[in-house]
Amino acid sequence: MQQSQCTKWMTHGEAGLMLFFSMAAFVCAFAAAKALDAPFAFHASLAAVASGVASFAIMNRYLDRPASLPPEEINGKPNYNVGPIKFASFMAMFWGIAGFAVGLLIASQLAWPALNFDLPWTSFGRLRPLHTSAVIFAFGGNVLIATSFYVVQRTCRTRLVGDLAPWFVVLGYNFFILIAGTGYLLGVTQSKEYAEPEWYADLWLTIVWVVYLVVFVMTLVKRKEPHIFVANWFYLAFIVTIAVLHLGNNPALPVSVFGSKSYIAWGGVQDAMFQWWYGHNAVGFFLTAGFLAIMYYFIPKRAERPVYSYRLSIIHFWALIFLYIWAGPHHLHHTALPDWTQTLGMTFSIMLWMPSWGGMINGLMTLSGAWDKLRTDPVLRMLVVSVAFYGMSTFEGPMMSIKVVNSLSHYTDWTIGHVHSGALGWVGFVSFGALYCLIPWLWDRKGLYSLKLVNWHFWTATIGIVLYISAMWVSGILQGLMWRAYTSLGFLEYSFLETVEAMHPFYVIRAAGGALFLIGALIMAYNLWMTVRAREADVGTELALQAAE
Amino acid sequence: MKAILTVHNIASDLVTSVWTPAFVGLFIAIVIYALWPRNQAVFDQASRMPLRED
Repeated sequence: MQQSQCTKWMTHGEAGLMLFFSMAAFVCAFAAAKALDAPFAFHASLAAVASGVASFAIMNRYLDRPASLPPEEINGKPNYNVGPIKFASFMAMFWGIAGFAVGLLIASQLAWPALNFDLPWTSFGRLRPLHTSAVIFAFGGNVLIATSFYVVQRTCRTRLVGDLAPWFVVLGYNFFILIAGTGYLLGVTQSKEYAEPEWYADLWLTIVWVVYLVVFVMTLVKRKEPHIFVANWFYLAFIVTIAVLHLGNNPALPVSVFGSKSYIAWGGVQDAMFQWWYGHNAVGFFLTAGFLAIMYYFIPKRAERPVYSYRLSIIHFWALIFLYIWAGPHHLHHTALPDWTQTLGMTFSIMLWMPSWGGMINGLMTLSGAWDKLRTDPVLRMLVVSVAFYGMSTFEGPMMSIKVVNSLSHYTDWTIGHVHSGALGWVGFVSFGALYCLIPWLWDRKGLYSLKLVNWHFWTATIGIVLYISAMWVSGILQGLMWRAYTSLGFLEYSFLETVEAMHPFYVIRAAGGALFLIGALIMAYNLWMTVRAREADVGTELALQAAE
Repeated sequence: MKAILTVHNIASDLVTSVWTPAFVGLFIAIVIYALWPRNQAVFDQASRMPLRED
């Protein structure tokens, strides 16, 4: 003890990262000075400042910390690392509200175009990727990083690997979000859906993601449990596949290393195929595999029941992994993509229905023997309803991938409705449920500040989703039918403008649904904030409420 | 040129003909592993992993 106090040294990680960030600060400042366009100068300056701050923060942290790093175990129990998880959970809530708010704005822009304000920065074209990236990658990504770091530690009974590495992952990832998001507003985009960030943001994400993979895998390697729990398999599939997809879809050559513009290596239909191989597997491995990991840990934990069928979970996992990767071409039906490739994508999409529903059944049936809890625990209700939405959208998806159905649904609002039944109902609700569980656990609270508010959130958001998806179904089918309507003389029956006009009432209903969903998230943020703020003596309302009901 | 193409064709034929049965075989092996009666005890324990608290 005495000796360790005398000899306080920087770890290799601390010294190495300090050196890296000090150098990065200079390189980025140089790049800012040489920048060919204003957004690049802005981003390089941001990176220079962030690198400087990171360097300072590492030094400060070193000066403040005791000579020895936190122990692996305290009194024979694993000393779990919760700091980065707390940060990622907070950021998830922050980005969630930002992303839902921008969603509401762009939904309102479609209903009332004056809300574009005639400014480039607030136009639909720039705000739309801001919305999709904020909800998928910023909100969803932070939920996945937070829960994966929590679950891997708990189910392996070991502390997360690395001292600074987990912090590098959560801070680095959020910095990527900042660069990507501000880039969209400034008009920086490589015009690939869900992969809009330009080459320098992509390179940074690659570094962060590799560190994430290393931290996760090395934590698995030093586990105390012989068995690797199924949720970790799903998380690992998510991390590995996203790495492969990101590299496959983004090989770009910058026009200049001092400018934001780049050109992608792939051309024509190959580029389209790569894009939708990426795009659909972002759905499959980011929005599905990762969140299924949440389902397999948080539903059993909250319901206090074992996983319904562990055998099914293994088959579910491998079936999903083998099939999902082939489904991308269904995004390119009736295009220049070879016909056989379209049929292949359709076939695999239909086959995907089986593992998807296998997973849904496994999640729902985990409640067997505990169904009564749905009445008293709105958090569990949220988790279970999310699985029901998963079942619904994974039935709708295969159906829409059938070429004949797709010829009606493609390019219409039906697609938007389908995506949001998955995104709001499945991903949103399972994330909300996980955060409602996670926050009291991380901050050592007995329970949430108020279960009544969770109930309010649940119903507000549910009504919001129903308004949203039903409006888009009606609008989408109407749109599709209007586009294909011919007169007896063979002319198109409706001009395009007439079909746009017909959408108006549905766009208003959709915006109302989005507003309700946002209000629900604000209720949640207040509830979580009060949970964290509450002193030990104040909490326990959860139990009291349960007894009262 | 023709020779290269032939070699390429042989290689691609080999790969395309091998991986489909290989993946199907692998998947069947995984299903057998999952359903093997002797593994039941391990899986029963694993299904309770989220419930264990330290």
